[in-house]
Amino acid sequence: MVGLVRIGAYFPRRRLERALIGKAWGVRPPAGSRTVAAIDQDVVTMAVDAVLDCLGDDDPAAVDALYFASTTSPWGEKQAASLVATAADLPRTVAVADFAGSVRAGLGALRAALDGVAAGSLRRAIVVAADARLAAPESELEGLLGDGAAAVTLGREDVVAELVASASVSEEFTYLWRMAGERYVEASEPRFGATYGFGRDVAEALGLALRKAELPPGRVAALALAAPDARAAAEVAKRAGFDPGRQLVPSLLADAGVLGAPEPLVLLARALETAEPGDFLAVGAWGEGADVMIFRATDRLPAARPRPLADRLARGLPLPSYERYLRARGVLPGEPIIDTVTSIVEWKELRQDIRLYGSRCDECGLVQYPQTRVCLGCRARDRLLEHKLAKRGVVFTFTIDNLSPALEHPMPMAVIDLEGGGRVYLQMTDSAEGEVKIGTPVELTFRRLHEAEGHPNYFWKARPA
Amino acid sequence: MRDQVAVIGVGCTKFGDRFERGYEELICDAAFEAYADAGIEPSQIQAAYLGTYLPGAGGGKAAVSLADALRLYDRPITRVENYCATGTDAFRNGCMAVAAGLYDVVLVVGAEKLKDRGGRGLPRLGHPLLAKGNTAPGLFALAANRYMHTFGLGRETLAKVAVKNHKNGAKNERAHLRMEVTEEQVLKAPIIAWPFGLFDCCPTTDGAAAAIVCRADLAKRFKKPPIMLKGAGLAVATGRPYFDPTFDYLGFRSTQAAARQAYAMAGITPRDVDLAEVHDCFTWTEISNIEDLGFCEKGHGGGLVEEGRTALEGDIPINPSGGLKSFGHPIGASGVRMITECVMQLRGEAGARQIRDAEIGLAHNVGGPGSVACVVVLGRS
Repeated sequence: MVGLVRIGAYFPRRRLERALIGKAWGVRPPAGSRTVAAIDQDVVTMAVDAVLDCLGDDDPAAVDALYFASTTSPWGEKQAASLVATAADLPRTVAVADFAGSVRAGLGALRAALDGVAAGSLRRAIVVAADARLAAPESELEGLLGDGAAAVTLGREDVVAELVASASVSEEFTYLWRMAGERYVEASEPRFGATYGFGRDVAEALGLALRKAELPPGRVAALALAAPDARAAAEVAKRAGFDPGRQLVPSLLADAGVLGAPEPLVLLARALETAEPGDFLAVGAWGEGADVMIFRATDRLPAARPRPLADRLARGLPLPSYERYLRARGVLPGEPIIDTVTSIVEWKELRQDIRLYGSRCDECGLVQYPQTRVCLGCRARDRLLEHKLAKRGVVFTFTIDNLSPALEHPMPMAVIDLEGGGRVYLQMTDSAEGEVKIGTPVELTFRRLHEAEGHPNYFWKARPA
Repeated sequence: MRDQVAVIGVGCTKFGDRFERGYEELICDAAFEAYADAGIEPSQIQAAYLGTYLPGAGGGKAAVSLADALRLYDRPITRVENYCATGTDAFRNGCMAVAAGLYDVVLVVGAEKLKDRGGRGLPRLGHPLLAKGNTAPGLFALAANRYMHTFGLGRETLAKVAVKNHKNGAKNERAHLRMEVTEEQVLKAPIIAWPFGLFDCCPTTDGAAAAIVCRADLAKRFKKPPIMLKGAGLAVATGRPYFDPTFDYLGFRSTQAAARQAYAMAGITPRDVDLAEVHDCFTWTEISNIEDLGFCEKGHGGGLVEEGRTALEGDIPINPSGGLKSFGHPIGASGVRMITECVMQLRGEAGARQIRDAEIGLAHNVGGPGSVACVVVLGRS
C-alpha cells in the first residue's frame, strides 16, 4: 500500500481584512480575510513550519526525499528544498528537488514522490508546497490570493489514504503567468480560462483517473479541487459529473484565499478531517493542464486525522491597515537591514544555526548554546556532545525594543529556556500586544532575518505557542 | 598596588553633542587640562594608555590617535578596549605600569566620538544571526524585566534614579544633559525598550577625559594634593549572558568579582566608601550595581533609592557627577571621567555637588551587560 501517512498545513498568523483592500481602492473584493506572510516569512520559512508540523515526533532521519513546490521561491537559481531539508534536520542523504513554474507544482511533486515510493526507490518522502504570490495593487487578483503551505509525508506503512489512481493532462494554455524578474501574477480572461484551460483540462483528468480507478463520479466522497476561484471549481465538478454541493470540498477563500501550489494539499487535508475508512477522495489541480489523484481512506485514518484547518486558522492577527500589508509583502520598502552572514560562515555553522544543535556536557550534563569547546558549567574541554535543541520553551525574560533595527516595530526579544535544556535569545514574531511575558510558552519558527548584498539570512525566532 | 600609585592630574572636556570638535581635539582638550592640573610638561609623560571602544572616522584606531593628537611620539602607548569598562580598564593598566616600576609618570586618556556615527550612535557588532536585533537598552532591559518581576519593583523606582542623577548633573557644567526632570516626565517619556523609557537611558555622547598617574613616592612634587590608588579590580564573565542557562539576571557577577578584588586590595569594605560613580547606563543598572558593589543586599537597591540614601546628601551618594544618565556616556571616556569626578570630590573641588569630608571614592563600569566590569577605589590619603 502506497499513500499519505501524515498531512499538515501552515498558515501565517497575519490577516488582511479584504474590506481594507476595498477601502484603499474603492473596489468590492470578496468577503472575509486573507492570510498574509509576515515580513519575515517567505515560502522557505512557511515550508519549514509545515514540514516540522507534519513530522511531529517522527524521526527526521527516516525521511529519504523532500520535494518542494512553489511558484514563489526566493531564488531564481539555487534550490529551496535543500534549505527546507536542512532546517527540518533531514539527513544529508535525502533526495531533494524543487518543483516550480505553476500552481500545479504541488500535485506534480506529490505525484513524483508517490511514484518514487511505489517504485520502491523511496521509503518515506515529504512533499511540501508553499506559496506567497503577489498580485498588483488594485488588481482583481489582489482580493483573491492568500499565503500558506502544506506538507505531506508519504510511505508504505502507517498509510491513512491509499493511492488508487493518478492521471495527468498537459496543455499549453496561458492563463496565470509572471515573467522572470517580475513581481506580480497576471491573469487572462476568466471565462476563457474556465471554459477551456481549467474547465476542460481538469474535467478530462478527472474522467481519466475515475476510469483507471473504475469508479463512477458518485462514488467519490470528496473532491478537493484547486481552482482559480470557487465558481470555476463548482462548474468543473458539475462538468465531470459530480454534485458540487455534496462532494466539493469547500474552498478557503473566506479565511485564507487562493493559495497556489499548496492549495490541493490543503483541501485534501480538509477532506481527511471528516472522511471515513473506505471513502474515495479525489484531488485535482490545474495549471497548463491538470493532475488528478484518487485516494481511499484507510482504517488508520480515524486514529490519525490531521489537525483541523479551522484550528490552524484560529488566532489570526489582523493587520491594522492596507499599508501594513504592502509593507509585509515588500511592496512598500521598510528600513534596510544590512547585516549579512557570508555564505562561508553560514555553511560553517549550519548545524548550529540552521539545524539548531547545541551541546550537552558529557561531564556535568549542562545543555548549552551556541556550540563551544569548553563547557560553560564545569570547564571540561572537548567533552561536549551535540544536542539537538527542542523547539518549545518558556520565556525567562524579555524586552520589547523600539530601537532595534528591525523589520517590524516594536520588536519583542526573549530569553527562552527550552524543554530538555538550553537557553536561547531570539527575536519574537507573530505576537499580539501583551502576549510576550515572563512565563509565556513559545515555539521556535524558522524566519528570514534580513537580506543584504542579495543574500538572505534565515534563522530561528520564537512565537507564542 | 595599594598606595603605590597616585593620581596627580585630571582633565575632562564638556560632554555632549560635540559636532564641532574632532576626536583628536577632544583628546587634546582633556590631556592638556590634566597636564595643567598636575603642573607638568608633556615631555614628562613616559607612557600612555588610550581607552576607546569604537574606532571610527574620527580616530581611535590603535594608539596612534593619542600619539598624533598630542604629538606624543617615541614612547609606549597602548589602546585598551573592554566594552563599557574601557575607560576604567585603561586607567587600571596605567596604574599597573607605574606599580610595576616601569614608568614614573603615565597618562591615561579615555575618548569617544559616538556622534560621528550618525543617529543611533552604536553600531551593532558581533554575530549576524545569534542575538541579532539586540541593542544596549534591550540587553539591559532583559535583566531589568527579570529583576523587576522577581523583586516586585516598578518603573516608578527606576524613574527616581533618573530624577536624582539629572538633579546632580544640572549642577555640573560639563554634563551633557543639564536639566532636571520630574518623575512624571520620566514615566511618560516614549518607551525605548520596555521597561526603559527615554529618560531611563543615558544619552549618546561625545567627550574625552584624562588622568595622570605617577609613583606614590614622587607624587608630592606636583601641584595638587595627590589622590592615592587604593584598589582596582577587573572581571570578565561570558559575553553571551543570554545563552547562559544558569544566569538568574538579578545582578552581574563581573561587578561582584571586580568589587571583591578592589575592596581586598584597598583593605576596605563597602561601608568605607563615601561616594561612588557607578555605571548607570540605564536607571535599573544603577539599582543593581549598588547591590553588586555591596552597598546593600541584593533586592534592596530600590529601597536605597526610594529612601534618598543615594542622593548627594544621603549616606552613600551615588553618581554625584550626574552619572552616565546626565553627564553622558562616551563609552571609552566614561570610566576616566568617573576617575576625574572621584579625584575632584576627594580634593574638595566639586563645588555645588561636593560631598563633605569624602575620604574614599569608587568608580565602576560594567558592560556587556555583565560581561566585563571594572572597579577602582581612590583615597584622599
